[in-house]
Amino acid sequence: LSTDATVERPRPPRLVYFLAQNTGLVLAQAMLVTAIAVYCAVFWLTEAALPGNFEITSTVNNTMPLALTAMGQAFVVVARGLDLSVGGVMDLTNALAAIHLHDNLASMVGWSVVILLIGAALGLVNGLLVGVGRLQPILVTLATLAIYQGLAIRILPQPGGSIPTAYTSALVNPNQPTALIYVLLLAFLWYAFRRSSIGVAIFALGNDELAARANGVDTVRARVIAFVLSGFMSAAAGLFLAASATAGDATTGDGYTLSSIVAVVLGGMNLFGGRGSGVGVIAGAFVTTMIVNILFFSNIDPLYQSFYEGLFLVIAVVLSALVGRLLRPRR
Amino acid sequence: MARESGPAPSLDRLGLTRDRRRILYAYLAAIMLFVVGAMVHPGFAGLGSVAAILTVASFVGLVAAGQTFVVLIGGIDLSVPWVLNGAAILLVTTSLGEDSRAPYALLMTLGMGAAAGLVNGFVIAFLGVPAVVMTLAMDGVMEGLTLGLSGGMTCRACASYAPTVVQNAVHGSAFGIPAALVLWIAVIAVVSFILSFTTFGRRTYAIGNNPLASYLAGVNVRLVTMLLYVLSGVFAALAGVLLVGFGGQASLGMGNPYLFQSIAAVVIGGVYMLGGRGHYLGAAAGAVTLVALVSVLLAMNMPDYGRNIIYGIVILVLLLLYGREEKEE
Repeated sequence: LSTDATVERPRPPRLVYFLAQNTGLVLAQAMLVTAIAVYCAVFWLTEAALPGNFEITSTVNNTMPLALTAMGQAFVVVARGLDLSVGGVMDLTNALAAIHLHDNLASMVGWSVVILLIGAALGLVNGLLVGVGRLQPILVTLATLAIYQGLAIRILPQPGGSIPTAYTSALVNPNQPTALIYVLLLAFLWYAFRRSSIGVAIFALGNDELAARANGVDTVRARVIAFVLSGFMSAAAGLFLAASATAGDATTGDGYTLSSIVAVVLGGMNLFGGRGSGVGVIAGAFVTTMIVNILFFSNIDPLYQSFYEGLFLVIAVVLSALVGRLLRPRR
Repeated sequence: MARESGPAPSLDRLGLTRDRRRILYAYLAAIMLFVVGAMVHPGFAGLGSVAAILTVASFVGLVAAGQTFVVLIGGIDLSVPWVLNGAAILLVTTSLGEDSRAPYALLMTLGMGAAAGLVNGFVIAFLGVPAVVMTLAMDGVMEGLTLGLSGGMTCRACASYAPTVVQNAVHGSAFGIPAALVLWIAVIAVVSFILSFTTFGRRTYAIGNNPLASYLAGVNVRLVTMLLYVLSGVFAALAGVLLVGFGGQASLGMGNPYLFQSIAAVVIGGVYMLGGRGHYLGAAAGAVTLVALVSVLLAMNMPDYGRNIIYGIVILVLLLLYGREEKEE
C-alpha cells in the first residue's frame, strides 16, 4: 500500500493512522450504514414493516448497473482523469444488446462478449486520445459522449428491441438477491486490480505522474488501460441495464454520467487521483440508490431526483475535503 | 514558456501570433463554410439565410461568452444546459406572458442565473471543489429544481408565452439587422473590451496563466474566479431569455445542445482549454462556424443524431490540431 511515511517521523496511534490512510473508505461505509438505517426507519414508518426479500432484491438489482459503471469511473479517477462518456457507452451497449441478443445460448454468450469488447474499444478510443493524443480527459470524453450518444440513437432510434427472458433471469434474478454475488466479484476484482502490476502503475500515475515515469512506469499505457477498463465496465453496466429493463433504450444511460461521479465521490475517492478504494465506490453506489429509495418512501417527487444527487455530490466533496484536512494536518 | 511552434515565423512579424492566427482560422473556417453551403444549396449565402444563421449563432455566442470567461482561468461550466432551461421556464412562469410583469420576470431570471453562478464560483473558489464536479452537480440541482417546481412542465403557468415585449424585442430589427444579432454584437464589444482593456480582464488572463503568481502579485484570485462563474451563469440565463423570446414558449431539454455548442465554439475559437490564452473574438467566430456547419449539414439532410456525432468529431479534431497540452519540459 502507498504510505506517506517514507520520511522518519513519530507515528500517530495506529487507529488514527488507519483512519487517516483510509478516510474515504471508512466514511463511505459509515454513510452506507446510515443510509440503510434511515431507509429502514422511513420504510417502517410508511409500511409498518422492515424491508424484506423483495426490497433487498430490487435494491441490489437496481444498484448493479451503477456499481459497475462507478467502478469503471473509479479506474479513471485513480489515474487522475474523469470519464464523462460512461453514459454514452451505456447507451450504445444497451442499444446493441436490445437488438442483437436472441433467445439461444450462443447468441447470448457470443453477443455479450462482443458487446463487452466494443465497450472496451470505446474506452480505448478515449484512452488513446487522452494518453497518446495528450488531450484533456474532460474534453475528450465530453466529445466522445456526444459521439456515442449519437451512434446509440442511430442503432436504436426508438426504445424497443427485446432481451430474452433467460438472459434477464441469469443476470438479474427478480426473486432472490443473487446479484450480491456480482457485488462480491466486483470487490474481488478491485483487490486483484490493486495488487496487479497495472493497478500499481495506475495508482502511481495518479499520485505523481513525473515520479511514476522516473521510476519506469509506462504512464501512457497505464492511462490508456484505465480508460479501457472504464469502457469495459460501462458496457457490463449497459448489459445489466438492458437485462433488468428487458428492452433497450438509447438514452437510458445518460443519467449515469452524473450518478457514477456521485458514487465515486460518496465512495471516498480522491478526485485528484491516486487515492481511494473500489470497495468504497461499491458502497457509494449503494448509498446513491438508497438516497433514491429514501426519497421515494418519504413521498418526495421523483422529479427532484437529480436535485438531491447534485446536492449530495457537493456536500460529499466538501465534507471529504474537510475531514481529510482534519485527519491529515500535515498535508 | 510560450513555445512558438508556428509554421511561419514571418507571420509573427506581421503581429500574427499563434493566438491571433487561431482567431483568424476560425473566421476563415466560417467564411469557407458559407462558400461550401452556397455550392451545396444555392441561396445558402443569401442575405436572409446569413441573417438567420447569425441569429441562431447569437444564442450559442452568448453562452460561449460565459464559457470563455471560465475557460480562460482553466475552468469549465457544465451547468449551462439547465441554468439556461431553468431561466427560460422561469421567465414564462413569472411573467405569465404579461408585459407589465416582464421587467420583474427579467430581473428574476437573470438573478437566478447569477445566483447559480455565484454558488458555483463560491464552492469552486473557496471550498476547492473541482469545477467539473461542482458545475455538473449544479446542472443536476438545476435540472431537479426545474423539473420538480414545474411538475415536469405540467404546471398551469408553464404553458404561458414569453411576454410580447420580449418576443418583439428578439424578433425586431434595428437598421435592418435582427435584434438578437444587435445584442450579440454589443456583447462582443463589451466582453472584448473587458478582456483586453480592463484590469479585470488582465487579472483573468493572469489567473489562467498562473494562479499562484497572480495571488502573489496581489490579485484576489478567489473573488475574480467567483465573479467569472457569476458571469457565466448570467450569460446562460440571458441566452435562455432570448431563446424563449425567439420561440415563444419554453420546453424541457431546450438547453441541452448548448453545452456542447458553447464548448465547441470556445475550442474552435482557439481558446486554450487550460486557461490563460484566447479571446472572445475567437469564440464568437467559433459560434458562427459551428452554426454554419450545422446548417450546411441540415441542407445536406443530415439526420438529428448525426449532428451530435459531428459536434464530437469537430471538437476532437480541433483539439488534436491545436488544443494539445504542451509536453512538459
